[in-house]
Amino acid sequence: MNNVLKKAAGALAIPVIVAVVLNVLCALGGRAMLASKTSFDNFVVYTAIVMITTMALSINLNSGRFDFSLGAMAVLSAVIGAKLSYVLLAGGPGSATLMLVLTVLAGAVLGLCSGGLYVLLRIPPIITSLGVTLIYEGITYTITGGRYMMTEVQNADMAAFAGNWYWGLLIIVAVLAGIIVLFDHTRFGVDYRALKEGQRVSVNTGIREVPNALGCYAVCGALMGIVGFLNAARNTNINGGSLSFGSIGIMFTAFLPMFIGGYISRWCNEKIGYLLAALCMSMLNSTFAVYANQVNASMQSIINAVLLVLFLIYLNNEYRIASFFKGPRAQRKAAQG
Amino acid sequence: MAKTKIAAPSAASYRRRQMLITLLPLLALGVLFAALCAVVSTKGYRLDMYLEIIFNEGVVLAIVATGAIFIYTLGSFDISLGASTLFSAALGVQTYNATGSLPLMILVIFAVAIGCSLLSSVLASVFHIPVFVTTVAMMSVLSAIAAQIITTYGGALGGISIPGEVVKPLDKPWIKIVILIAFAALCVFIFNFTKIGRRQKFLGGNPVCAQLTGIDLNKYAIIAFVMAGLGVGIGAFLTLVYTPSVNTGTASSIGMNIIVAIVFGGMPISGGARSRIYAALVGGFSYILLNNILMLLIEGNAGYGISQIISAVFFLAVVYVTGINYRTQTLPR
Repeated sequence: MNNVLKKAAGALAIPVIVAVVLNVLCALGGRAMLASKTSFDNFVVYTAIVMITTMALSINLNSGRFDFSLGAMAVLSAVIGAKLSYVLLAGGPGSATLMLVLTVLAGAVLGLCSGGLYVLLRIPPIITSLGVTLIYEGITYTITGGRYMMTEVQNADMAAFAGNWYWGLLIIVAVLAGIIVLFDHTRFGVDYRALKEGQRVSVNTGIREVPNALGCYAVCGALMGIVGFLNAARNTNINGGSLSFGSIGIMFTAFLPMFIGGYISRWCNEKIGYLLAALCMSMLNSTFAVYANQVNASMQSIINAVLLVLFLIYLNNEYRIASFFKGPRAQRKAAQG
Repeated sequence: MAKTKIAAPSAASYRRRQMLITLLPLLALGVLFAALCAVVSTKGYRLDMYLEIIFNEGVVLAIVATGAIFIYTLGSFDISLGASTLFSAALGVQTYNATGSLPLMILVIFAVAIGCSLLSSVLASVFHIPVFVTTVAMMSVLSAIAAQIITTYGGALGGISIPGEVVKPLDKPWIKIVILIAFAALCVFIFNFTKIGRRQKFLGGNPVCAQLTGIDLNKYAIIAFVMAGLGVGIGAFLTLVYTPSVNTGTASSIGMNIIVAIVFGGMPISGGARSRIYAALVGGFSYILLNNILMLLIEGNAGYGISQIISAVFFLAVVYVTGINYRTQTLPR
C-alpha cells in the first residue's frame, strides 16, 4: 500500500505542482485558468492532441528512428479524410465520425507507406522521413492547391465534436487503452521492446524486425491521423500550404511532454506519463490563453523552448545536482560513476 | 590460387563501383546544369537571369552546408542553422539601422551566428543534452526572437531592411565566388590537412573507440559548431547582400535543406570517414538546380507541390544508390 501511494505521489507530483503554479499565475492576472466551458473543451482537445503526438513521436524515436514526417502525415491524412467524408456525406450528420474513421485509416496507410519505404530502401530513417515529409507535403499542396481547406471541415457535426469535451476525453481513453494493450500486453509489444533494447541480439534470436517496424509506422500514422482530425476540428480548417518542411512544427510540440512523460514514467506506466505530461502542457497552453494580450505566439515558443532546455538540463544532470546538495562525499561518488 | 583469381576481379569491380558512386553527385550536378540550360532555352527564357538566381540561392545554401559538414561528420545534426541565419541577419539589420556602420553590422552578424552555435554546443556538451533536442529548442527560440524583432520593427506583413545602396556594391558574382572559394578552401584545409578533421571523422565513425584513444569529443564538437557558425554568418551576410530585407520567412528552410544538400552531395548523414567537404558544395547547387528545373517544367500553382514530390523522389533515389554498398543485416537506425 505504501509503495502504491509512493508511486502515485511520484507520478502526480509534477502535474500537481504545475497546476498549483499556473493557477496562482492565472489568479494573479485576475482570471481562472478554465473560466468557461469553451476553454475546458479546448483544454481536453489540446490534451488529446499533445498526448497522441507524444506517443507517435516516442514510438519510433525510442527505437532510434527519428521521424520528421509526423506532421506531414497528420495534415495529409486529415485532407484525405475531410475530402472523402465531404464527398460521401456533404457535411451532413455523421460527418465528424466518418472523417475520424477515414482520417485514421488514411494515417495508418500513410504510416505504412513511410515504413515500407524505410524497410525497402534500407536507408537511415531520418533520411527516409525527410523524403517522405517532402512527398506528403507536396501531395497535400497539390490536392488543396496550397489553400486552407475550410468547406469540408466547417459543419455542425464537426462543431459539435470540437465543442463537447467528452469526445476528446473518449479519444484520450481509447487511445491510451489501445496503446497500453498493444505495447505492453501483446507479442508485438514484447518484440518492440526487445528490438528497442538490443536490435541485433533480438534479430539473431528470431524476432522479425521488418513486420514490427512496419507495425510501428502504421500505428504512428494512425495516431497522427487522429491528431490531424483533432487539429481540423479545433481550428475549423486544414492548412494545405505547408511546403519545404513547413509541417514539422507539429512534431516539435511533443518534445517537452515526451521528456516530462519519460521522467514521470519512473513511477507509473510510460503512456500514463505521457498523458500526465500532456495535461501539464495543456495547462500551460490555457495559461497562455489567459495572458493572450501579454504573451504572444513568439513568446510562447520561447517559453516552451526554455522550459524544454531547463528540464533537460535537470534530467541529464540529476545525479550531479543531487550530489551537490548531499556534500563532498556524494559528489566524489557521482564524479566516479 | 583459384581463390585469388576469383577475388581479384571482384575487388576491382568493387573499386570501380565505389569510384562511380563517388563521382555520381558530380555527374548529377553536370547533368542538372545541362538540363537547366536545355529547359531554359526551350522555353525561350534568359539563361543568364536564371543562372544568377540559382547562383544566389545556391551560394548561401552551399556555404551554410559546408560549415555544417563539421557537425554532420561527428554523426550529429543541427536543424537550427536556418533560424540562426535568420536571427543573425535580423540583428545585423537592426545594428546597421541603429549605428549606420556596415563593419559593425558584419561584426554583429558573425558574432551572433558563432555565439548561437557555441550556445548549442555548450548546452549539448556541458549540460549533456542530446544535440537534436538542443537544436530543436534553439530553432524555436531563435526563430521566435527573430519574429518578435521583425514584427515589432517592421510590421506583421513587412520586414526589416537596410538601404539597398549599402550592400549593392557587394552584390557582385565574383565577390560571392571569392567568398565561397575562400571558405571552402579553409574548410578543406581544416578537414583534410589537420588533426581536427581526422579526429572528427574518427569520432563520427566510432565515437567509443575514438574517445578511448583520448580524443575529447566536447572539444571537437565545439570546433564543429564554431565552423558551422562561421558558415551561418557568411550565409546571413550574403542573404542581406542579395536581398537587403529580412522577413519571418527568410532562410526558414535552410536548416532542413542542408541535410538534403549534404545527402545529395554523396555524404552519409551518419558522418564518419566518408564525410566530404565537397558534398555540401555539390549537393547545395544540385538541389537548387533541381528545384528550379522542376519549377520551370511544371508551371502554375500546383507546380510547387509536384516539383517537391519529384525532388523528394530524386533525393531518395540518390541516397539509395550512394548507400547501396552499405546495407546491414538489421534495419538502419
